Amino acid sequence: MAAVAERTTRPQKNRRGPHARREARIGLLFVLPCFLLFLAFRFGPGVAGLVLGFTDYTIGDTTHFTGLENFQRMVHDPLFWSSLRVTVVYSVIAVPFTVLASLALALLTRRAFRGSRLFRSVFFLPVVTSLILASTVFIWIFSTKGPWSDLMGLLGLPDQSWLTDSALVLPAIALVGIWSRCGYGMLILLARLQDVPRELEEAALMDGAGPWQRFRHIVAPQLRPAFFFLAVIETTNSFQIFDAIYVMTGGGPANASYSLVYQLYDAGFKYSDLGYASALGCVLFVMTVVVALVQRLVLGKEK
Amino acid sequence: MANVTAEAVEAQAGPDSRGAAGAAPGAAGDRTTRGVWPRRAGRAGRPRERDTVPRALRPGPVGRIVRGVLLAVASVVTVFPFYAMLVLSLKPGAAVSLPGSLLPWHLSGSSYGTVLDAQDVPRWLLNTVIYSVVSVVGVLVLSSLAGYAFAKKRFRGRETMFWSFLSMVMVPYHVTMIPTFIMMAKLGGVDTYWGLIIPTLANAQAVFLMRQFIRDLPDEMFEAARLDGCGELRIFVSIVLPLLKPILATLGTFVFLWHWNDFLWPLVMGQSSDMRTLTVGIASLQQQQVPLSQVLAGSVIAFVPIFAAYLAGQRYFTEGVTGSAVKG
Repeated sequence: MAAVAERTTRPQKNRRGPHARREARIGLLFVLPCFLLFLAFRFGPGVAGLVLGFTDYTIGDTTHFTGLENFQRMVHDPLFWSSLRVTVVYSVIAVPFTVLASLALALLTRRAFRGSRLFRSVFFLPVVTSLILASTVFIWIFSTKGPWSDLMGLLGLPDQSWLTDSALVLPAIALVGIWSRCGYGMLILLARLQDVPRELEEAALMDGAGPWQRFRHIVAPQLRPAFFFLAVIETTNSFQIFDAIYVMTGGGPANASYSLVYQLYDAGFKYSDLGYASALGCVLFVMTVVVALVQRLVLGKEK
Repeated sequence: MANVTAEAVEAQAGPDSRGAAGAAPGAAGDRTTRGVWPRRAGRAGRPRERDTVPRALRPGPVGRIVRGVLLAVASVVTVFPFYAMLVLSLKPGAAVSLPGSLLPWHLSGSSYGTVLDAQDVPRWLLNTVIYSVVSVVGVLVLSSLAGYAFAKKRFRGRETMFWSFLSMVMVPYHVTMIPTFIMMAKLGGVDTYWGLIIPTLANAQAVFLMRQFIRDLPDEMFEAARLDGCGELRIFVSIVLPLLKPILATLGTFVFLWHWNDFLWPLVMGQSSDMRTLTVGIASLQQQQVPLSQVLAGSVIAFVPIFAAYLAGQRYFTEGVTGSAVKG
């Protein structure tokens, strides 16, 4: 990746010749379609999205620049605090378990054995499945007479619909999140596991290190960057949780699963309050940047 | 889920992965020969993956049993929702309670007929195919052209343009979604195919992936063709594109999957039932209290193409994840 910064110039070329000019023209021509689309649909809207957060924009009405008004309103908006809490709590539940489950799956399928590739394929399958489709099944799984209730019954817990209990709804949705994401983490970690020098492990084995010691002192340190990478990806991903909630609970019960993106969607497309929705988007942006910065800091310190 | 692709490829583009990849030695480079998912060996004389693990590091009998049990449990947990989706979709009207409902008898396909007849499912399927296929073609063409120029051509503003592409990876999709929607509302693109598709063609991650790949292609080949009097477009079509096949397949698979599963953007853009995609349509079935077996029948219909694609192109799915996120 360090290579990104290095320029791919070919040194022996004459810079100003007709050939160079032609090359530049062709280059621009090839980039242009993509670049124009990018300006129109990514860069422009990205900047506009941040600016709109400081206006009272609604479609078909005059727009005023309102400064920090949206953000002040946000501070006094209990729904915002609730949706922020839901988003954070969801991430706190889902991310660690996703990473742990990924690690477990990666270690289980690490060494090749008969059928190991089949297992990897099976564990990756939920990743390619739409959360919308999966959620339709999970509604039933979590319903009063569903298998999850039966499972909990075996543990002596009352059978009830987890999706209608405000204390259980986020863990339930997090389970779906973990189910759908751990195959992805497995693959990332597997790739890194392949790079752990085998000689090191064999040497440790000779020295009498057990599996846990080998994992603790040889494998885990090698996996650390991949862990951080996963944690960041999964955290930013879980900040954006929407699809599963939309289908499974609609934000309920009593806003107990009403996430930040859900509020953004409602504000923008249900109440046409696009300025406020953009301000919520700014919050999401800041959260994403903070997570990335924290990760940079931690990794930077390590080097 | 909708953004598996996004972040798989984002992983590569984001500043995060640079840290991740840079900190681990020996990460890059040899993924093709030592893939996570080695091609079936034997034919080419390469040893099977299994035989390369030293005996000392293989688990003993107890370890194998423990591993077997854990793998079995994990597989059941993973597969159960798929099984339930299929079986329950074949049990119209049946009481959906355990355990009887999960046994594979007394099946009937009538939910499929009902959902295909009464709902707009065929239309949603068509919409999804159009959305996915057109986007794949568009993204592949645009990003390979731009990636080639970024990798092999020198022109003023190249670096600025490239970095402005990358800078947007940090901005969550939801921030750009609102202004894009406003723009589309003003241009009359809401509830149209072009309004749905065109904004998604600007895929910075795809351009980045292409650039990285094309940069590693040898210049000599292009030079030789140029000396033979080949035009630039000809070089691109008959030399660059064939060399790009592996990355086109990988990226194409991922863009397809991303669009097929995409939810929020089609939800916002498809205001009438006729313009819904499958994911949006199935979510709407769910909300209309349509019987469970019919919703699940719709889900199975939406899942089968993805499953088929997964079986056929598994290598590309997994290379898309590991290649982009780890190779860096």
